[in-house]
Amino acid sequence: MKILEIKNLHASIDGTEILRGIDLTVDAGEVHAIMGPNGAGKSTLSNVLAGREGYDITEGEIIYKGENLLALAPEDRAQRGVFLAFQYPVEIPGVSNIYLLKAALNAVRKYQGLEELDAIDFLTLVRSKLELVQMDEQFLHRSVNEGFSGGEKKRNEILQMALLEPTLAILDETDSGLDIDALKVVSEGVNALRNSDRSIVMITHYQRLLDYIVPDFVHVLSEGRIIKSGDKNLAKELEKSGYSWAKESVGLPA
Amino acid sequence: MKQLMEFHTDFISVAEMRRENGLPDETWRRLRKLGQEQFVQKGLPGKKDEDWKYTSLWAFSQQAFNHDVAQPGHVVVSDWQLLNDAYQLVIVDGHVDFTASSLTGLPEGVTVKPLSQSLEQVAPHLNQQIDLEKTGFNALNTMLMSEGVFIHVAAGVKLKKPIELLVVNSGVTEDLAVHLRNVVVLEAAVQASFIEIYASKEGITGLTDVITEINLAESAELFHYKFQRESLTHFHVATMAAKQAASSRWHNHNISLGAQLARNDIHSELLGEQSHVTMNGLYLVDGQQHVDNHSRIDHVVPNTTSDELYKGVLDGKSHAVFNGKVMVYKYAQKTDANQANKNLLLSRGCEIDSKPEMEIYADDVKCGHGSAVGQIDESALFFLRTRGLSETSARSLLTFAFAADVIQRIEDPAIRDAITGVIEQRLPRS
Repeated sequence: MKILEIKNLHASIDGTEILRGIDLTVDAGEVHAIMGPNGAGKSTLSNVLAGREGYDITEGEIIYKGENLLALAPEDRAQRGVFLAFQYPVEIPGVSNIYLLKAALNAVRKYQGLEELDAIDFLTLVRSKLELVQMDEQFLHRSVNEGFSGGEKKRNEILQMALLEPTLAILDETDSGLDIDALKVVSEGVNALRNSDRSIVMITHYQRLLDYIVPDFVHVLSEGRIIKSGDKNLAKELEKSGYSWAKESVGLPA
Repeated sequence: MKQLMEFHTDFISVAEMRRENGLPDETWRRLRKLGQEQFVQKGLPGKKDEDWKYTSLWAFSQQAFNHDVAQPGHVVVSDWQLLNDAYQLVIVDGHVDFTASSLTGLPEGVTVKPLSQSLEQVAPHLNQQIDLEKTGFNALNTMLMSEGVFIHVAAGVKLKKPIELLVVNSGVTEDLAVHLRNVVVLEAAVQASFIEIYASKEGITGLTDVITEINLAESAELFHYKFQRESLTHFHVATMAAKQAASSRWHNHNISLGAQLARNDIHSELLGEQSHVTMNGLYLVDGQQHVDNHSRIDHVVPNTTSDELYKGVLDGKSHAVFNGKVMVYKYAQKTDANQANKNLLLSRGCEIDSKPEMEIYADDVKCGHGSAVGQIDESALFFLRTRGLSETSARSLLTFAFAADVIQRIEDPAIRDAITGVIEQRLPRS
């Protein structure tokens, strides 16, 4: 079943075209890695998918579960199961993590026509998810990401993902700023969330992450286009030969 | 200095009437007379007065306030009170509502009485914390004060239950002006909590003019909360002033939500070593509201501390003023003073005038001050929306989060929760 279809997507910011015709189809349960050098348009793609303002979509469309994703506000996308794990998780002093988790879960449940969880059920659920990312319960009572280390912030993103159980998760440079131990914890968390109903799009600069979260498909993004697609071996080739190899191999100037 | 001298309200005639209406106490008669003399001479501050530069009293001067209450109205206390379990004095339309008040069971050594029933007792404490000549409002209040609360706590008493003063304008008398004086005297090593609440329903216009005088003896500690939620057409002018002896502590929390014009003057004189004052403030204004907080802290002797944080949230075409002045006297070595004012602007039309000031004449001190103005963090807003929160709820949550550290400083959890509840209601929901 098709979850996400990106068709000929063009996006620009302040008149500069960043995405220049992206085509991508993601089926249920698939894990796709989108790799590319700096400036290829990786972050723009994840921001456009999540609905950040400031981008002009000049051409093309994004269909999510049969619906025009671009017509939806960020919160409507989230409630329908689209989740973005941020490259740079935002610190929000004054909002406790547990408050955020509860508000987010209830927003999604409300859309699904479910009742809000009571305090005890909620805490039981959160505790089980905390285990998954090996986070201490004290993190629940701290302000969102405030004073968290890089690894703690990324684990916190995966904690939110685990709780919200999205249909489509976009992981934006989830490996950046992580040491090897933190990378393992985060990857194990993501792997535990893989299932046949959940699609994952990983956006990354480095192949390293793909050793831990093995994708079904790898795409090379360069200058706003997907120039090459393949299986996990493509990532290995990229690691060995670099992005210029990928460009040359499809007849583009390196 | 050019002052406002003409008012649509004839304050002086009212004062003369009140003076003649049987005041047995000599001090009262003398003060009233002095107040009136000052007021005749000074009027109220105009915009040329540095302390009133950003706050115009024009609308105030054009308003005809009423001073005659035929019959005070009735109010539902539970609509406005912050605590159920408190010693409570309720003043409706300037008159004590004895049925609604509950002052029974006061521990020995504790006096909580209406001002009108403690004229002689309170007399020696009047105008001890304020300077009659400093501003016309001190004169106005002195010549017209007619009610309020008198609190006296004998040495060593630690009061468990807070004292709650609830002042409500019922709206029964149109454009009613009330002039209140509260006097709080804590003897040595007393500990007490005092909550002042000023409230009225939307659509009611009036004036609340109140001065709270506080005297803290050695090692006395006062937890003091002022919560103003009057209607958006109300005028509110208030002073809180304290002299603090050695090792005394005054924790002042000043929350201003209502009124078309709200002005607070908060003044602490740290006169004894190891004394401390906390000035904690939050103002939420919208529409055409104007709020002005002026604070002053005098570090007179060595080894005193002050900690001031005022935060404001401005929306609509509202206007806020913050002027905090910290004076460190020549001999006040080892003063530790911290002052900050932070503002969150939610609209293009609002305006903030923030002026933190420090005058330091000692050379061995630790003093810091700052002022900040910001807007909602767009990346935080986007983040919350990607977690499913509507834009409205995300904005409200971030607004509340901005105010959270001021609210967190409220020591009493029951008061903190009650105030949190009222503030949350003020924020838009989705």
